[in-house]
Amino acid sequence: MRGFFRSRDEGLDLERELRAGRPQPRDEFVQMLEDRVRETPRRAARGGFRIAFVGAITACMLFALAAVGGLGQAASAVGDVAVTAQRIVNTQGPTIVKKSSAASQYGKPTKKKVKKKVQAKKKVKAKRQVRRAARPRFTG
Amino acid sequence: MARDPLADPGPLIRRVYAYVAYRIGEGAEAEDVTSEAFERALRYRDSYDPGRGEPVAWLIGIARRCIEGARLRPEPVPTAEETADPLDVEGSTIERLTLAQAVDRLDERDRELIALRYGSDLSARQIAEVLELRTNAVEVALHRALARLRKLLEGEEAAQADPRLRERPSTL
Repeated sequence: MRGFFRSRDEGLDLERELRAGRPQPRDEFVQMLEDRVRETPRRAARGGFRIAFVGAITACMLFALAAVGGLGQAASAVGDVAVTAQRIVNTQGPTIVKKSSAASQYGKPTKKKVKKKVQAKKKVKAKRQVRRAARPRFTG
Repeated sequence: MARDPLADPGPLIRRVYAYVAYRIGEGAEAEDVTSEAFERALRYRDSYDPGRGEPVAWLIGIARRCIEGARLRPEPVPTAEETADPLDVEGSTIERLTLAQAVDRLDERDRELIALRYGSDLSARQIAEVLELRTNAVEVALHRALARLRKLLEGEEAAQADPRLRERPSTL
């Protein structure tokens, strides 16, 4: 026996045999697939062109806008928006309208309670004075 | 632009085909799987990252997924006696078929290792990257796979030498 069978006594050089016996594709198949691969263009090339095209258009538009002062206008508009937003955020509670048509229609709130409070305070003050007067004078 | 992984397709096609053929057997199915792998490679050509390995390792990864996706079962390899020319029984054809039969009888894991190492000609480090294993582990597993293959071939050789053994069922 030759080949494998011859090498019985020599020991199998398996790695060499595996490499030598590696399955080989048909030449037509390789050629066909090779052509297919070579014919298919890379998408990255087209993608790169697209990106460059979009970049160029954007640059042109910015240049045209800057020429007529559009950029400054846009910047001031952004500033106005920022100021408005700041005003909205920094309010110090609800605004109370004191003079309104509703207030004039229903009149002013009653001052009785206020008077009572003032009178009560006056009474307390008077009582204190009376007590002080009744006490003997401090002589040290 | 990143390096084109398919800049030189010829050798890559041969290596991928050899890997696929060792896994599922030679023939039309191996060609189909190889074609499918290259179609996918063309589709995802731009996603190839040279920092993660050589183009061949990337392609073999794709081919592996194609094989798994197709769920192909290896066709039984015809015996040497069925296909060989009776006038040249001891020629190189019988040797190759015997080797192919022996590889086919290995379990899936061993066959994969043999296909990666001797079919696609990847190094142990590249195989480790493809299989997500340590290089050390790949070397050990490959050594064991070769030992099993050698055992199978020696058994085959004994059967060839003794016709009575050849006639017995192979389940023994």
